[in-house]
Amino acid sequence: MLKHLATALLATTLLATTAQAETFKWASKTDPDTMDPHASNSAPVFSFLNNVYEGLVRRDKDMVIEGALAEGWEPLGDKGWRFTLRQGVTFHDGAEFNAEDVLFSYERASSEAADTRSWFAPVSEVKIVDDYTIDFMTTAPNPIFPDSIANFMIMDKGWAEANDSTVPAKDTETHATLNANGTGPFVLTERQPGLKTVLTPFANWWDTAEHNITRAEFTPIQNPATSVAALLSGDVDLINPVPIQDAARLEQTADVKIIKGIEARVIMLGFPHQAETLKYGADAEKPNPFKDVKVRQAVAQAVNVDAILTTIMRGSAEAASQLVSPAMRGYSPSLAARPATDVATAKTLLTEAGYPDGFSFGLKCSNDRYLNDEAVCQAIVSMLAQIGIKAELDAMPVRNYWPELRADNFDMYLLGWSPGTFDAEHPIRFLAATPNAEKKLGSWNFGDFSNTRIDELLPQIQSELDDTKRQAMLDESAKILQDEVAYVPLYVQPLVWGARKNIDLTQRPDDFFLLRWVTVN
Amino acid sequence: MAQANAMLAFTIQRVFQSIVVLLVVGLVAFSMFRFVGDPIDNMLGQERTDADIERLRGELGLDQPFVIQYAKFLGKAVQGDFGVSYRQGRPVSSILKERAPATLELAAVSGFLAIFFGVVLGVFTAIRRDGVAANIVLATSLIGVSLPTFLIGILLIYLFAVELGWLPSFGRGDTVKIGGWTTGFLTWSGLQALILPSITLGLYQMTLIMRLVRSEMLEVLRADYIRFARARGLKEKTVNFRHALKNTLVPVITVTGLQLGAIIAFAIITETVFQWPGVGLLFINAIQFVDIPVMAAYLMLISVMFVGINLIVDILYFNIDPRLRVDRSSAEG
Amino acid sequence: MSALILAWHSDVAWSFRRSPVAVVSLMVVLILVLAAVFAPLIAPYNPFDPASLNLMNGFSKPMEPNAFTGDTFWLGTDDQGRDVFSTILYGMRISLFVGFTAVLFALVLGVTLGLVAGYVGGWTETIIMRIADVQLTFPAILVAMLIFGIAKGVTPVEHRDEVAIWVLIIAIGLSDWVQFARVVRGATLVERNKEYVMAAKLIGRKPGAIMLRHILPNVLSPVLVIATISLALAIIAEATLSFLGVGAPPTQPSLGTLIRIGQGFLFSGEWWIILFPAVTLLVLALSVNLLGDWLRDALNPKLR
Repeated sequence: MLKHLATALLATTLLATTAQAETFKWASKTDPDTMDPHASNSAPVFSFLNNVYEGLVRRDKDMVIEGALAEGWEPLGDKGWRFTLRQGVTFHDGAEFNAEDVLFSYERASSEAADTRSWFAPVSEVKIVDDYTIDFMTTAPNPIFPDSIANFMIMDKGWAEANDSTVPAKDTETHATLNANGTGPFVLTERQPGLKTVLTPFANWWDTAEHNITRAEFTPIQNPATSVAALLSGDVDLINPVPIQDAARLEQTADVKIIKGIEARVIMLGFPHQAETLKYGADAEKPNPFKDVKVRQAVAQAVNVDAILTTIMRGSAEAASQLVSPAMRGYSPSLAARPATDVATAKTLLTEAGYPDGFSFGLKCSNDRYLNDEAVCQAIVSMLAQIGIKAELDAMPVRNYWPELRADNFDMYLLGWSPGTFDAEHPIRFLAATPNAEKKLGSWNFGDFSNTRIDELLPQIQSELDDTKRQAMLDESAKILQDEVAYVPLYVQPLVWGARKNIDLTQRPDDFFLLRWVTVN
Repeated sequence: MAQANAMLAFTIQRVFQSIVVLLVVGLVAFSMFRFVGDPIDNMLGQERTDADIERLRGELGLDQPFVIQYAKFLGKAVQGDFGVSYRQGRPVSSILKERAPATLELAAVSGFLAIFFGVVLGVFTAIRRDGVAANIVLATSLIGVSLPTFLIGILLIYLFAVELGWLPSFGRGDTVKIGGWTTGFLTWSGLQALILPSITLGLYQMTLIMRLVRSEMLEVLRADYIRFARARGLKEKTVNFRHALKNTLVPVITVTGLQLGAIIAFAIITETVFQWPGVGLLFINAIQFVDIPVMAAYLMLISVMFVGINLIVDILYFNIDPRLRVDRSSAEG
Repeated sequence: MSALILAWHSDVAWSFRRSPVAVVSLMVVLILVLAAVFAPLIAPYNPFDPASLNLMNGFSKPMEPNAFTGDTFWLGTDDQGRDVFSTILYGMRISLFVGFTAVLFALVLGVTLGLVAGYVGGWTETIIMRIADVQLTFPAILVAMLIFGIAKGVTPVEHRDEVAIWVLIIAIGLSDWVQFARVVRGATLVERNKEYVMAAKLIGRKPGAIMLRHILPNVLSPVLVIATISLALAIIAEATLSFLGVGAPPTQPSLGTLIRIGQGFLFSGEWWIILFPAVTLLVLALSVNLLGDWLRDALNPKLR
């Protein structure tokens, strides 16, 4: 009996060792909630599922849109877009891909239960022309539509029907929550939520594989120190993100390298633009100073972004001047300068605004959402103290943070914004437009910033097909937002990954990690 | 016969009390999480609308009166149905079944280490009460309890996984599936992965047991019958282990039984540090995402375990020595 | 004065003077407590005053001038440019305050309930001891989270920061009272049938007076031992809660919060941010534990 057990033990040990040798392992802070591509509108899910599922279009290494399941697309005048589909593509289970699957996926992704519904707000109808041609009709001209659906993933109609998964699973479990059947370069072979997810290459992928992975294993690791330890000890080949303070040390470690980039996410300070009074601190109930643009300017000039970048961000982030980073479409290069740090000017502005002795107020901040968010807020508190305004910091986990902001419980707050479309129109729609629930406008404009000209420009920007005219309007909007100090953009959040030295990979600015660009040497 | 009747009455009374306790715990556990955060915010992405929020609130039953939500929860919990995880969209019971083996294996190994080394070191420090080595062990054990568990875990990772590279820094290693149970006992990497977390988790309990054994031994060694045994010329070893240790075991077993529940509860911290895929990590993640069904199920599970252990200990005590009745103060160490 | 001399010659004091460990532990505890109480006088900086901080001082190494500002800090600075030495002194204030107050709270609650349960008996006893069982069902961490959750729900937003410390105290205190209650109840059960209590009852003393004047003094030794050990546990519990993110707020960092902050710099080479607070916590908890240990042996007549 004991002998048998020993043999079994030896056999499993051997098996385990051989399997490990060819495995690429990576770890990240968050586990994707689901394997259903239409059930959760969240970056970790899309980043992961882009390895398994594919959309009509996809983004290349530089974020440029290229054909995936669609070979080409063209506007149908002002009325919509026509996509020509790729032929001879099969799903992981062998089923053939055609226009029926696109129509089915559209219906699924825009259904009541889908979290991805808002993408299709501009779509009026989807029509199959033939097996490999499909039209997306829009209610208004929509020049950025193909750009906006890069994460719209196509699921096989037959597979979904056979497995009773025709509706996205949000508060129930369906087959598609734990299983996947895409057309992408990797097949989902094992899924243990929160523990381990295993992918293997798809032999019949339509595109040429650039990677040399035979098996990929993903583990979520929440504790940053643990993930750094795992990378250092070689237990994983890649971690994302690397705590920013550990980047320098890891760079000096022989077996490890750091991959740095600039993310799409701009970190900024927001104000209450409509509130009559302050809510926190010694001056609670007194009139709201932030309604005065001079006070907002004073804040912008008091914050020493360079000092934050040098110390807390360890020199691996860039200052921001607008609501989008330079890597985004529609960025305004002419407005790249951010207000100079100048304590004296800031104090003068405060005096002019009628606050020579400053005032106190409450600053709301998340402490687990952005890189070093709490440390940045603490630094801002001490910087504002130098011009005599006293901020009471309230930092909280993001699970409590959004409800607080939505309930207008702030005098100033920290926010990071990453435009899902990679276009400058996105933050205007969400952060600058006057809030209007019916039109789905300004839904993250917690401070109720409102400017008639911005509200005029937004629909024009959305439907303008001429790039030059569009850019002129985006520039005008960016100028207004800067002059009004609607927000104080601080910096573009850095993107820091750590990998073992023998790994070659591509880091995309949207923080998506794609296995098809990984080579293990 | 009277004895058996008393026994039955006592058992019924204690079982009834335990059920009341569980109901209260369920209420507390359930109501607590109605105050922490808002699940809606975590479930909907950044492009949500107010209509979406209302719709989801209705679907999840969060708009119903508190009492009704609680009654529904209890009714289902009794049948083992803890609802569907908000975050994973899967039945909580199946998630718990997946995660339980990891925690139970970790707790078993930690418990074993704690008992084994606790008893051995406890006896040692009692016999060599004034020895240098015994005092060093005592002092070291105090350092162990004076450092927070998470710091011990991080230090162990730093030393053994990063600097020395001997042991894995996180996770369970490779596991083998036997029926519905995944075990790390049958692979080399699984066994390696157990070492650091079980030391981290077991250290505190080991110290407790060691100190308990030591003080009980010290008392027993002074007892007349031990002095008598010595006077009779019995070997020191026989006296120490046959007679003295045997008499310290009853309180030790009681406390150890109660500590088993504590080990599983304290696994939360160890599992967080080592990314150990057990129920504790599940619970911490659930708190992060305000996943009420998972949190409620976890608390209920832990309570059932504690209350169950308490009940068994009480009944055993009653059997061993009816004079003790419900009074277990002698076991408090 | 004569009382002091009497105390000095007592058995316990004799055993104290004979134990170098106890003497050193008590001295260390006293020094740390005094340092914490007089932190504003001793600390070279006030880390809680944001206007005095310069972010460019961040990550200064101990005893080395900062590369940007040229300032030198004895134990270095943290990520905000706060002097680590001053921050430890101020942080220890909070840790000790939370620890002492939480233990005091647990002691008053536990002793009262234990006395009542043991003396009155019957249904009162059953209810109290079953509540204790429920309490034991929840480990300290869960109790603290529960109280945090409830406090968050009932506290107006603008007062949350002010009550955070008190919530911490109540959370730790509530998870600790059971020990006191069980021991006191056990001792009371023994004492209440003794002749002197019977005598007091016969001459018509009220139950409250009997409990306070007669029974309480007899159960003080174990209570003192538990209180000392609970203090070390409370200090560690506070650190653990901070690690799990439900501890002292960052605006009022305790030793635990400092360790949590420093933990982020364990691998990046800024060892001083975690090391000094961790060592302080260790020394503090260890001294208290050693003191409790010695007390336990010294007050146990069987071991003398």
